[in-house]
Amino acid sequence: MNGLLLAAIAAITYGSRLAAMAILPRPTGRLEQVLARVTPAIFASIATLSLITEQPALVEGPILLAALGALIAAPRRSFALCLVAGVLGYFAGEAIASAMR
Amino acid sequence: MAAEPSVSVARTVAMVAPAAVAIAVFGVLYGAAARPLIGPELTILSSMIVFSGATQFTVIGLLAAGAAAPAVLATAAILNVRHLMMGAVLRSSLGPSRLKRALLAWFLLDESFGFTMLAAERVPQGAERIEVAERTLLVTGLCCYAAWLLGTGLGILGAGLPGLEGVAAAVFPVLFIALAALTARTRSVTVRTVAAAAITAVVCVVLPDWRALAPVVAGLAVALPNDPGPAEAS
Repeated sequence: MNGLLLAAIAAITYGSRLAAMAILPRPTGRLEQVLARVTPAIFASIATLSLITEQPALVEGPILLAALGALIAAPRRSFALCLVAGVLGYFAGEAIASAMR
Repeated sequence: MAAEPSVSVARTVAMVAPAAVAIAVFGVLYGAAARPLIGPELTILSSMIVFSGATQFTVIGLLAAGAAAPAVLATAAILNVRHLMMGAVLRSSLGPSRLKRALLAWFLLDESFGFTMLAAERVPQGAERIEVAERTLLVTGLCCYAAWLLGTGLGILGAGLPGLEGVAAAVFPVLFIALAALTARTRSVTVRTVAAAAITAVVCVVLPDWRALAPVVAGLAVALPNDPGPAEAS
């Protein structure tokens, strides 16, 4: 990779951020309504992406259990509780994995 | 009233801290992986001017596989399409200053977007929401940027993080599950959220080469249908 290619990658990345936030017109009407509903869907989609590898296959057991812990805590709608449950799930998964070795 | 912003900044930093630590860990991994391929100078420069883990890891992977520049640029463009949607969603919570939005755009990441939307949706629309959203995007973005640069630098210097990679990888699904749970406030939105996760899983399995577009596809697919019931809380 040379500096020119790196600069082009940087321009594409910042350009995509800049376009929607400062160049394109603010969404209105039907589009604004749709975008108002899209936020949690994007979060769920990114969470799912982080659980499936590019092969595709599921990620390792401890990470799956971390996600399961967060999912179990999710109905309480507490950010801290989700994080704690996720950490507990992860270490439970690690303990199970090491016991099975 | 004067103390409120500083309290909010402290709370925001505390909230973003786990994500920032995870980002730093991935920065170490990136620095260690990129250095032999592109050298220490371009490695740290890439983190300084690209500031996108997904893009940078993918570029390194493509370069290691011998990909040509057009393929690298096309892939970078596809990976960044979701910025368009996240930026459009954020836009209604930001102020009228184009210059300020252009500067804040630098900090648009999955993580900063999540924390910003969460903070913005907790206050009513108007000047207060704009202030909260802009401050949250700036603070979370700065924390993530500092963590990414620190991690990359440590990776270039040869730092090793045995055992931490798994914990860091677990932070991201947990973080985004928590953000989804907090922002899905109605039954209808919750159903759409679960559907988005299912669509993403299908895209990952059936069209793995297009997985980078899954958040855009899934987000629009579940958000487009109108809700026949009472107005949703947003």
